[in-house]
Amino acid sequence: MNRSRLFFRLMLKDAWVRKDRAVTALLSVVVVATMATVALTIYSDLEGKLSHEFRSFGANVIVTTPNGSLSANELAKVTAIAGNKSDVVPIAYAIGTFSTGQKIVVGGADLGKLCRLNSWWSLKKENDGPSMIGSRADTGGAFTLTFGSANSDLIRPGTVFTSGSDDDSRLYVPLEQFVRWTRLEPSTALVRVDGRPREIESAVAQLRASLPHLEVEPVRQIAAAQTAVLGKTRSVVLAASVVVVVLIMVCMVATFTSSVLERRKDFAVMKALGASNRTVNLLFAAQAVFLAVAGATVGYIAGSAVAFWIGRANFDAAIFPQPGLFVPVVLGSVMLALIAATAPIKLLQRIQPAGILRGE
Amino acid sequence: MFLRLVFESFRRQKRRKSVALLAIALGMSIATAMIAVGTDVGDKINQELRSSGGANLLLIPLEDTLDVNLGGVSLKPASEGAFIDEADLVKLKGIFWGHNILGFAPFLSDHLTATAHEHDFKAEVIGTYFAQPLRYGTETFTTGVRTVNTWWKVEGDWPPDYSEWPKDRAPGVLIGGKLAQANSLAAGDELTINGKKLRVAGILSTGGAEDQAVVAPLHIVQQLLGHPHAVRMVLVSALTKPEDAFARRDPSTLSGPVRDRWYCSPYATSIAFQIHEALPGVRAEQIRQVEQNQGKVLSQISGLMLLLTLAALGASALAVSAAMAATILERRQEVGLMKSLGATNGAVASLFLTEASFLALTGATLGFLAGTVLAHQIGQNVFGSAIVVRPVVLVVVLFTALLVTFLGSAGAVRKAMRFDPAVVLRGDA
Repeated sequence: MNRSRLFFRLMLKDAWVRKDRAVTALLSVVVVATMATVALTIYSDLEGKLSHEFRSFGANVIVTTPNGSLSANELAKVTAIAGNKSDVVPIAYAIGTFSTGQKIVVGGADLGKLCRLNSWWSLKKENDGPSMIGSRADTGGAFTLTFGSANSDLIRPGTVFTSGSDDDSRLYVPLEQFVRWTRLEPSTALVRVDGRPREIESAVAQLRASLPHLEVEPVRQIAAAQTAVLGKTRSVVLAASVVVVVLIMVCMVATFTSSVLERRKDFAVMKALGASNRTVNLLFAAQAVFLAVAGATVGYIAGSAVAFWIGRANFDAAIFPQPGLFVPVVLGSVMLALIAATAPIKLLQRIQPAGILRGE
Repeated sequence: MFLRLVFESFRRQKRRKSVALLAIALGMSIATAMIAVGTDVGDKINQELRSSGGANLLLIPLEDTLDVNLGGVSLKPASEGAFIDEADLVKLKGIFWGHNILGFAPFLSDHLTATAHEHDFKAEVIGTYFAQPLRYGTETFTTGVRTVNTWWKVEGDWPPDYSEWPKDRAPGVLIGGKLAQANSLAAGDELTINGKKLRVAGILSTGGAEDQAVVAPLHIVQQLLGHPHAVRMVLVSALTKPEDAFARRDPSTLSGPVRDRWYCSPYATSIAFQIHEALPGVRAEQIRQVEQNQGKVLSQISGLMLLLTLAALGASALAVSAAMAATILERRQEVGLMKSLGATNGAVASLFLTEASFLALTGATLGFLAGTVLAHQIGQNVFGSAIVVRPVVLVVVLFTALLVTFLGSAGAVRKAMRFDPAVVLRGDA
């Protein structure tokens, strides 16, 4: 039998004969690799996932023209810069007057898009008909409005909505009706840029640069909340993950070291039979690397599965495995295992094999 | 004899025992820190949302006419519609969830003509509290836009909240950035509205309609408009619990303990209900854009931390079990010796489990202390405020430690006992 075959046989046979010892060491590596994979996978996807949740806050950028109306060309530019995942809702406003003299703000827009954007509106269907009226303005019946000298058709609002803002005093009608009554085209565009705070900022900067005569304002209240919450959540997830992963690593190193120290008799027998320090070191190190690679692979798969499941359970969207994490997780586990396995050997080398065998 | 065996086992196997103890303590400090952070993160993020995301309740007079706001300019004359009495507002602090009211800001505005540099311009003049000290009962607190709308930025100084028109000098006001630019106004300039002199204390930037407005102390605007104590609307920032199906129930259909439970939960709806009880002429509405969406984000973050906590608990349980199993597996010779000397399986098991429970309890206590420190550090570093570990966590941690060490030891002890003592002692097993 040549040396390398003997070497591998020793290594595998040891793991096989003392399965339980190998299994506990393997388990501790698996736990570290799993936890590290879970934490890193979630952390790397957290900003994207949470930013997506901020979609429901509605428009985060408002584009207005100081005079006249937004041209088709300008709207096309806004849509192009905001990106295809974003929403752009052009909207026109005018003040209408009831027959009683009471004034009301009327908005004209694509109402389907407007409702999707303002997803927090609570809607109550009252009649058939496309128009929507805020709960404070709702009179319960049909009415006509005058816009200067022009009159509207009879308006019977189909839906009553509650928003808890100025909108509750407003009436929204489909844009083409609005244009027919008032001859006004949209002067404002509500824009929801889908993305992280950085991406939203850069979209605002681009809009300002390419449409210098328009006013482009980010909705600062939403931007501030998004930035603050994302930042704090990332930090707390990071801090918690670091604590968990580091402590579990220490735990693993302790277990691993202890299982190597328990093998001092094997060590002594090998030395007594004439094995060099180098060979013994190599054998222990190779075993550690073998266990670490196996454990880290299992851990990476388990961790990716746990992260995927957390994404499903919490965000209703999968957090996909990050292939880029595999190599760092395996290398990290191997490094830890090597440290854990070779440190005790240094201790043992100071003792005479005979002493160990006698039980000292 | 039994106690002596246990004692000697600890005395003679210091290294093994300390590895096991270290593993348990580490595992339990993870558990303590994660449980504390996981249960507290919801409150902390809620605070963060409240301080950065603005008010979540809107108060308007019950009998008010429609608002006619267009592009941030109110076209409703100040004489029209109803008002809220400013003096009633401190009652907000007296409702059941008064402590959850973090701040409020009243508003009164009108479209007026201002004169500066001998040049007239029209502008929205908004009156509000900046940081007004108020007294409710024995408690004093400060409230205003600086607490509620934290994204308002001022270049220059925030003006003081005057209680009446100062005789000797012009009261300070803020000018919206765009309005200031259009009329070349800067901090220190004077302007006149309705014949009264005002001084620009700072330039305001909000990214909203206020950038085109003059923002003045509430009492000054009340005097300008001749409406003492009048407030048109109030923005309230309250710490609330995310809305669920129970929150949407109508309180008039509830009775007895169910109604009490609804009333005593800090939902936006129940706080709005209590505000309406304290201020009957006021309609309190949740600002749905803020309230509904923040609730959603909040429950996602809490959910994430809960799942991460579960994953960490599972991981630390496995790590502790592995460590316990490893230390016991190495002691099969001892088991063989005890059994060959006539010990029953029960005696051996009870010896090992006693050792394990001692390790578990000591390790868990140490781990709890370390975990408390870690949770505190995370709280201070991330949120700037401490995360308090509830004492019940100690009970949970002690119990978990016992369970996990027993599970880790039990398998290993059983395995060690299954071997023939003679074989074990020969070293063949």
